[in-house]
Amino acid sequence: MDKNQLKVTPGDNPSGFDGLPEIQIFDPPMCCSTGLCGPTIDQTLLDVGEMIAKLQSEGYKVERYQMSTHPNAFLVNPDVMKLIRENQMAALPITVIRGQILKKGSYPKFDEIHKIFDGEK
Amino acid sequence: MLTQYIFFSGKGGVGKTSMACTYVVRLAEEGKKTLIVTTDPASNLADMFEQTIGHQITPIQGVSNLWAMEIDPDKATQEYIDRAMAPIRTAFPPQIVQVMEEQMSGPCTAEVAAFDRFTDFLEVPAENETSFDVVIFDTAPTGHTIRLLELPSEWSHAIDAASQGNGQTCLGPAAAIQDAKHKYERALGAMRDSKQTTFNFVMNPEEISIKETRRAISELSKLGIQNFELIINGIIPPEGMQNVLFAARSTMQNRYLDQIEAELPYPKKRMVLLADEIKGVQRLRQVAKIFFDGDDSESNYMTGKDISHESIIATPLREVRARIQPNGNRRTLFFAGKGGVGKTVASCITAVWLARQGFKTLLLTTDPAAHLGDVLDNPVGDEIAPVSGQPNLWAVKIDPKAAAETYKTRILEDARKRGRPEKAIAAMEEELNSPCTEEMAAFDKFIEYASQKEWQSVVFDTAPTGHTLRLLELPVDWSKQIDVKIFASVDSSAADDVAKERFEKVIEMMRDPEQSTFAFVMYPEATPILEAWRAASELGTVGIHPRMVVANMVIPPQLANTSYTLSRHAMQVKYLREINERFGLPVVQIPLLPNEVKGLAMLAKLGDQIYEGDII
Repeated sequence: MDKNQLKVTPGDNPSGFDGLPEIQIFDPPMCCSTGLCGPTIDQTLLDVGEMIAKLQSEGYKVERYQMSTHPNAFLVNPDVMKLIRENQMAALPITVIRGQILKKGSYPKFDEIHKIFDGEK
Repeated sequence: MLTQYIFFSGKGGVGKTSMACTYVVRLAEEGKKTLIVTTDPASNLADMFEQTIGHQITPIQGVSNLWAMEIDPDKATQEYIDRAMAPIRTAFPPQIVQVMEEQMSGPCTAEVAAFDRFTDFLEVPAENETSFDVVIFDTAPTGHTIRLLELPSEWSHAIDAASQGNGQTCLGPAAAIQDAKHKYERALGAMRDSKQTTFNFVMNPEEISIKETRRAISELSKLGIQNFELIINGIIPPEGMQNVLFAARSTMQNRYLDQIEAELPYPKKRMVLLADEIKGVQRLRQVAKIFFDGDDSESNYMTGKDISHESIIATPLREVRARIQPNGNRRTLFFAGKGGVGKTVASCITAVWLARQGFKTLLLTTDPAAHLGDVLDNPVGDEIAPVSGQPNLWAVKIDPKAAAETYKTRILEDARKRGRPEKAIAAMEEELNSPCTEEMAAFDKFIEYASQKEWQSVVFDTAPTGHTLRLLELPVDWSKQIDVKIFASVDSSAADDVAKERFEKVIEMMRDPEQSTFAFVMYPEATPILEAWRAASELGTVGIHPRMVVANMVIPPQLANTSYTLSRHAMQVKYLREINERFGLPVVQIPLLPNEVKGLAMLAKLGDQIYEGDII
């Protein structure tokens, strides 16, 4: 059994999809997702971090996965794995909202995510 | 009390490996199953035992109950990557696997991996593994060791934070193996337990060594480590005192021995400076008799009658000067070599000499445990400042902790300018406290100074061998890493290009003999020569070749006039010849002095003597 397995905690998040968080972000392989590591600062990744913090402050449950630390989060999602097999690196990052793929190949903006939840209200 | 784990610590060149080997030979003779492990990337265990060891537990020939292992940082890194990549290799397409592997070969992984491998020996062995009564760690030199030991507590903290948040904490390669956290905690627990672990500090009766030991003990105490013992090595024996030079050094030593007694309240053992080198199992057994039993009946000196002084080829100093002075362009000098061989002294002599020649000179160190200020007898801080009393000379110390603070401030200011919310900035600040920031920041400083145009000469007193190599190889690694970095925004891809160009310029500068001179500093003894040779070969793989050798602590032939000094002199002559044959480079000799090198006047005098001895 892989020790790095994603810990799914149903009950935490009654509004979630099948016990999974409402918003899942599958990162491409990188040294670290903060954008602060490495020879230059990656402003895109800083923007993503900021967006996630904002969504979380509004009560949304967001999780972010890296292949090196959470390989199983990728493996248990057939849609995500299909995209990765077909498009390889170009598929990533992938953003999934309640089990549905919202965007692939780049990170969504805050408004793109927010719109989906607003539409439901 | 004998503990199961014994760490040997101390500044490189104080005889740490010799003493560790003396211990293990004695312990094995007493019937204890003993293992000696080194984490030093420039290890010389194999030289001490005169056999191949390598990256696995290897029995030592001629000593029953004794095994040794040299942790190879490259192999440890590969093993670590393989372990972390195993679940990924089978599940993901090859392109992705390849990108991940390239990213894992960044600079932090090697450090994580070496430490990871090393903590394995602090674990209770599995049933199918050999268990040892005593495990001795011949650790890497002080400054670096301490940083390595500081890491697990920081990682533990960071791994905790990562699992609670979005997995955003920047641990890079450490995060790949999350169960390592408990291993690191257990490792630190074992190190803190006086019943399990002893820290043996090997030191010389010299000012710098005392300072170094005190600093190291204080830093380890802060980490909750408490069981310390001292080995004072290199004490000149009565037979050495018939010689005027050694008698003067002995007077100096006595002063420092008193200071050690007064200031370092730990159990102490003393070891004499032997007239010949320590090498081979048979010799180690004799040394153990001298050290543990006070029995030196088996010591016998070479007579030294057959030494021909003429056989030491003296390099024309004109040739040496041509490699040191700037030739129209700026020249950068790097003094590399094992810790403790005199890199700082060589750098200071050279920088003072260049400044006195009228060249605008910057002297700087990248060694976290630097003692530049002690040798210059002038304070050296983390900002470039003129050295008072010496026109044309400026000095600076790259302190990784201070550099990290500056780096952090710069990045956070930039984030504020970009209008990021305070909450995000607070998160970034937290993030920048990660263990990698110091290394990154120190490197950033190194690049900054290496790119400055206002100097005619830049003299680098570099960190000990293994660390230096990593630092110098970083530009290569990082520019490679930028190549594989994916989907950077337009903004950061422009920044990447700037950074890459900057790194490439520095690499180019280091490779160009018109702009840079790498000098290897060593004593004329077997292990420092071998280590410098290995380090030089490793630098060769990144296209950087040494152009000069500095032989330090050479006994002046006219002062080798007793059997003890003749024996040491004979040993040095043999190795000076070896330096000539092996390196085929100009050799500068710094004589063994009655006192420590300290102060501008003494540095100026030495510079005249070693660089202009033919003119004066």
